[in-house]
Amino acid sequence: MPTFAIVILVLFSAVLAGVVAVRPAITGSRAGKILAFGVLFFLPLFSLMAGMDNEMERSKSTAFCLSCHIMEPYGKSLHIDDPGYLAAAHYQNHRVPADEACYTCHTNYAMFGSLKAKLGGMRHLYVYYLKQQPLPQDIKLHEPFNNRECLHCHLGARSFEQGATHNADPATLPAIKGNTLSCISSGCHDVVHNVGRWGDKVKFWDGGS
Amino acid sequence: MRTGDSMCQRLRISGMFVITGLLIEALCLVWSRPIAFVVLVCVGGTLIGLGVLFFLYSLVTAPAHATDSSCAATDK
Repeated sequence: MPTFAIVILVLFSAVLAGVVAVRPAITGSRAGKILAFGVLFFLPLFSLMAGMDNEMERSKSTAFCLSCHIMEPYGKSLHIDDPGYLAAAHYQNHRVPADEACYTCHTNYAMFGSLKAKLGGMRHLYVYYLKQQPLPQDIKLHEPFNNRECLHCHLGARSFEQGATHNADPATLPAIKGNTLSCISSGCHDVVHNVGRWGDKVKFWDGGS
Repeated sequence: MRTGDSMCQRLRISGMFVITGLLIEALCLVWSRPIAFVVLVCVGGTLIGLGVLFFLYSLVTAPAHATDSSCAATDK
């Protein structure tokens, strides 16, 4: 449901709740009782659910993540003109949706993964507003990056399953799939955002959204 | 205080909670900042939840036939 439709629904609910609050006498009739139940129970909860769902969807957007000042360098890293930078290569080649780039890699593809990701985001907000903010380069993941998030897309892909490096040792592929050999911290794809370590020679691609 | 007055008062209080929560939700929906999500859930959601719970509490604690005529009388 589009945001403006939810806003209209919410305001409509508020107006009806106002009618019941100002004229509680209307609950004297059967129709009034039904109206009161709809207005003070069903509509507020439905509006709240619709609003929260809308906010959850909006919080998946790249623009939402990058709206925090501290995330700016991470957004900039998506435009690095070097295919060796994992995040930039994924973003620029649309291996992840450009408008949900952060969420696609940093969510948790397990049960209640989106909820866990958003609870982690709440912690970001807590630190951002109430604690001393770390430097962007000092930001760390809550927990080591799980290969499951990579395999959500790459599992079964020919480039992954038949890649020369992945098959050089027969034990490599099972280890990756079992998350015992990390994709990003085993020396293979370890250049991800590298915020604070770009140096002077890094160039930026000015295309994309 | 008569039972009808009490029921009317409870409906008003419940309505005020719900209205305030809904208005905060509407503001959060048009306010595109990460903190809006927290305000919506923590403040808007709490107020709406309180309003709904208070309404339900009013229903289960209201004496039978308490509101039908007396609420209307107080409203005139």
